[in-house]
Amino acid sequence: MIPLLGLLAGIVLGLVLEPSIPQALQPYLPIAIVAAMDALFGAFRAYLEGNFNDRVFVVSFISNVLIAAAIVYVGDQIGVGSQLSTGVVVVLGIRIFTNAAAIRRALFHA
Amino acid sequence: MRRATLRRTAAAEAPAGGPDDSAGSQAPAVRPDPGVSPQRSRGRLWSALRQPGRGQLIAAVMLFIVGLGGVMQIRINTADDTYTNARREDLVQLLDGLGSESRRLEDEISQLERTRTSLQSGADTQRVAREEAEKRVQVLSILAGTMPAEGPGIRMRIADPDNKVDADVLLNAVEEMRDAGAEVMEVNDTIRVVASTWFSSDASGLVIDGRQVSTPITVEVIGEPHSLEEAARFRGGIVSEITGPQIGGSVEIERLDRVVVESLHPVRQNQYAQPASPPPSPR
Repeated sequence: MIPLLGLLAGIVLGLVLEPSIPQALQPYLPIAIVAAMDALFGAFRAYLEGNFNDRVFVVSFISNVLIAAAIVYVGDQIGVGSQLSTGVVVVLGIRIFTNAAAIRRALFHA
Repeated sequence: MRRATLRRTAAAEAPAGGPDDSAGSQAPAVRPDPGVSPQRSRGRLWSALRQPGRGQLIAAVMLFIVGLGGVMQIRINTADDTYTNARREDLVQLLDGLGSESRRLEDEISQLERTRTSLQSGADTQRVAREEAEKRVQVLSILAGTMPAEGPGIRMRIADPDNKVDADVLLNAVEEMRDAGAEVMEVNDTIRVVASTWFSSDASGLVIDGRQVSTPITVEVIGEPHSLEEAARFRGGIVSEITGPQIGGSVEIERLDRVVVESLHPVRQNQYAQPASPPPSPR
């Protein structure tokens, strides 16, 4: 319940305050969001399977986001930024689907 | 939440939102896990809803950040400036694409302009040719007597009380007029004199093109009035021939600024003769 309230609060704050991030970080925000979604699905799955750990969750969340952004940053520096970001999105998308499948099995056994 | 902390040792290598957590999830049936049964999972969900713990608070903070970032990203994405967060290579690629597109369009423009120019000049040529042809048609139809004509000229009235003016005299008169540059001739306001006009005289009088000619004879001629009159009046010419003792007629000539010839020569299609070369086809 509290996590959902946190999500709602974030959305409302984003809509009301209209915050903006620095121009230099803007290309990495979408990748970071996808990585965060991956971490969230993984955490939910771990929670349903009974082995959720808040420390692991926080560390994996932050490291996921940072690694994804770093990969894209390095890709930008060496000139394959768009390809690498596509690759990262594909990998994270596969992981999100896998985690969603595990969540589905855990909740509905289907 | 208490159960989760108890399992902390297991969580270190089990799926916990970390990068390795998708390893065993493909085949859960092969690895039976007592914690994954739906009943226990749902029970965990219900207990979490009833008694929130520290982990939920942390998850709430994370979700807050995700929500904030997602809204920011959506706002950036839906904003009008779609190119502000594009990478430099993407922009270069976009620019390249636009450049080649504009080159292609410029090529197309110049090609279409060439086509337009050629079409215009073609239309001009055709128009000039048509105007030329229309002019020629007018000139030729005046010559052939199929069109009314007007212009300066003379009117010659031949009085012939003794009916002694015959076809020869009239043909001579016409020939004289033609020599003097007559362009259109008309007899008695009804008979157009053209190349094929024939003259004859029978018992009842003069006949031109099969039509009776009554006296006095009026000949209207379009041409240069002065030379026409001189051609009629020179010594041994028409006037002296008609006024001479053999015919005893009289001739009246008046110069006119405007002679209108409205009688037409009926057009007859050639039965045997064809144009030797095909008529110039419009381009």
